[in-house]
Amino acid sequence: MTTRRRIAALTLATALLAGLGACAAEPGGSPAADTKPVAGGTLRVGENADEPTLLDPHQLSTTNTTTLLRPIFDTLVWQNTDGSFAGGLADSWDVSPDGLEYTFHLREGVTFHDGSPWNAAGLKANFEHIIDPATKSPLAASYIAPYRSSEVVDEYTLKVTLATPYSAFLNVLAQTYLSIVSPKQIVEAPETIAEHPIGSGPYKFHKWVKGESISLVRNEDYAWAPKEAKNQGAPYLDGITFTFVPEDAVRYNGLLADDFDIIEWTPPQNVAQIEKKEGFSFTSTDRPGHPFSLWLNSERAPFDDVAVRQAFVASIDRKDIVDTVSFGQWEVSNGYITPVTPDYAENASAIDFDPDRANELLDEAGWTGRDSQGYRTKNGERLTAFLPHTGTVAQTTQIIELAQAAAKKVGFDVQIQLVSTQEATDRAAVGDYDLTSGIWTTNTADVLWIRYSSDNITTPERRGQNGSYTRDDELDGLLDSARQTTDEAERASLYEQAQERLVELAPAVPLYVRPDLVSHSDRVGGVTFESAYGALWFQDTWLAAE
Amino acid sequence: MDVAKIGVRLAAGVGVAWGAATLTFLAVQITPGDPAYAIVGGPEANPSPEVIAQVRAEYGFDQPLLVQYVRYLGRLAVGDLGTSYRLQSPVTQVLGEQIGGTVQLAGVAALLAAVLAVVVAVFTARRGPVVRGGATSIELFLASSPSFWLGILLLSVFSYALHWLPSVGNADGRALVLPALTLALPIAAVLSQVLRSSLEEVLEQPFITTARARGLSDAAVRVRHGLRHSLIPLATMTGFVVGGLLGGTVIVESLFTRQGLGRTLLAAVNAKDMPVVLGVVLLSAVVYVVVNLVVDLLYPVLDPRLKTVTATEARETVTANEGTETTETEEVSA
Repeated sequence: MTTRRRIAALTLATALLAGLGACAAEPGGSPAADTKPVAGGTLRVGENADEPTLLDPHQLSTTNTTTLLRPIFDTLVWQNTDGSFAGGLADSWDVSPDGLEYTFHLREGVTFHDGSPWNAAGLKANFEHIIDPATKSPLAASYIAPYRSSEVVDEYTLKVTLATPYSAFLNVLAQTYLSIVSPKQIVEAPETIAEHPIGSGPYKFHKWVKGESISLVRNEDYAWAPKEAKNQGAPYLDGITFTFVPEDAVRYNGLLADDFDIIEWTPPQNVAQIEKKEGFSFTSTDRPGHPFSLWLNSERAPFDDVAVRQAFVASIDRKDIVDTVSFGQWEVSNGYITPVTPDYAENASAIDFDPDRANELLDEAGWTGRDSQGYRTKNGERLTAFLPHTGTVAQTTQIIELAQAAAKKVGFDVQIQLVSTQEATDRAAVGDYDLTSGIWTTNTADVLWIRYSSDNITTPERRGQNGSYTRDDELDGLLDSARQTTDEAERASLYEQAQERLVELAPAVPLYVRPDLVSHSDRVGGVTFESAYGALWFQDTWLAAE
Repeated sequence: MDVAKIGVRLAAGVGVAWGAATLTFLAVQITPGDPAYAIVGGPEANPSPEVIAQVRAEYGFDQPLLVQYVRYLGRLAVGDLGTSYRLQSPVTQVLGEQIGGTVQLAGVAALLAAVLAVVVAVFTARRGPVVRGGATSIELFLASSPSFWLGILLLSVFSYALHWLPSVGNADGRALVLPALTLALPIAAVLSQVLRSSLEEVLEQPFITTARARGLSDAAVRVRHGLRHSLIPLATMTGFVVGGLLGGTVIVESLFTRQGLGRTLLAAVNAKDMPVVLGVVLLSAVVYVVVNLVVDLLYPVLDPRLKTVTATEARETVTANEGTETTETEEVSA
């Protein structure tokens, strides 16, 4: 290569890197939008680096799990887009008036990929696999913690008994983490689930190239899709290959260069570009659960004073921060659960950005002094909040720094401490922080119990998820009652009151609803999402011919 | 170098491995945090106390430290590297699955680097300022390019703009081209700089003049006489090459979405999966020991004058006498 050509190539590459160059990928084939589904083709999906460590759904807790394993498995219950529940591998169910007994009437005629049949004993085996400590379930087991026992009534009926009423039981049973695994595999060779999972879903596991990709093939026999699917038969695609691409730029440009047909985790900064690009489309869905938030530790000063917490929350222009960090692609959160979560209270009081109010609150709380750097003081002590942070996610770092700058304007000294993941985990365990960040995605308002019930404060025996150390009798009462009621309207009302109460308690600064940002070639048709987590769902997806 | 000396070398290698293993074990103990939470961990996890207890018992974290250390060494002695925290499968199995991709990538890259370095050095040594200057500037550019940046550059040109080569995976030989080049180019650049300067010294030697006087062509002089004398300094660069290849795979495998040890190491470090980190560290230590042993054994082959001296002395001799003597063997072989 001569120097001149080298310079030309360099210039080109630099332009591409800066996102200015036209990565001229020819749109392949006709746009799929208005045409009919066709069978065939292998869909190439680009994911981020978060490859599952093993493939037993009951042993996983990561986001990508919900996209990767949903095609292999069915769930007992299906969550419709409107938040209601429909049959999955159960046709219907009865709940006893005291909320302690669930009788599941199972769908008949379902077979797993290994040919074994689906029946009540199989469901029982799944529950027992989930709660068995040997399974080492990081999430599924705690989601059905109230489960006590089950009894096979007949071939297709199972009666489940709970230790305490648990109104979120059906919700969590719709999540991929509680997928139904082949009972034959659970009984005969549970250790093989991790490497070669067998389910009853529309696609069968095919191959896992560790550190690179997972591929699935069509299940020709599939005839038990949830009613919500347009396609009630076997899926259109011959197969699906998920590739784990660590680099955002490589994933995005790989889509443009036809190395992928569809990608999740579209870098937010590329959304505006892909929306305009000929031959490509962009779509997204919001995920349920607790929004990404900064949690305030109410166990120690300064956030043990509710006025100081309220002041901190009011001092931060949440919308401005979220828009800046996400290039306008994330929705700012206006409550302590996201709008797509069942029992979201639309009418709860707004969490306002109001620096004047923040200043008033701090004055009233006695933080009236100012030191030489402009921070507020009280009895000679500066208004300081420590925030340990691992710095592994650039956007989180950016959010934290913007929040730090906003809080400084009303006199908070937020000190960001860069720490290792282990140190962060350890400090979280003993509550050695004033602020901490995180998110919790789940399809039930029971996430408020997980994050704010005093039952879930960490003790020496048990690590809990109430990182804000919220201890409020009124809130505990509301969340417990909501867990125990079997009346949907009453449950909704209790959760509405709980959300209202949280605005007063100000245990966190809710920031954004984390959406699934999906970009795809127009050759891909029927791009849909399941609602139990907000993950891509491939039952209706097809690929137009070249 | 006789058998006894090789034995001493190997024993030293085992010592190095034991040291690395002990240091890593201590590092794991000093690092704060409960490994049980690393195993059923992640920010999205909510393990119950029963699950945590199960993990502690299964991995032996409930045992005294000394017992854990002795058990750990005992397992190492029989080639058992333990169980990955993150993947919950044996480390030997994890490394076994991943090593193929890395060997393929590093092997092709090493070959590419060697061929490129030799070809460029032989053709540019003692040439006019345009050729030589051009070559040195390109070498300088490549040697100082971070491989992440170089990889993105190659991807942008050959995958995204020209569509000649795929950007992900290791499905076929085509997918190997760009990652191997990314890994090879900086190494080739350094090797060819070293080789050229040593070649240039050799080409000024009287025996070269003799060879030319006997009517040998320029190419024959460069390849048959010059190159052979310049190989020793190149052999001493092996450590650098191995280090560059092993280190480079961490970035290259991630960038090009390839299976391999480098990518596995990165994921293990991020997840505090110490058994896997240790496995890769030990494997690298073994590779270093073996490669250096092989290089030592090769010195006398490359330069017959060194047949009677030890490897260490050989290095000293080479450093001291590099290119200042003519050799009888060379004259004879010509």
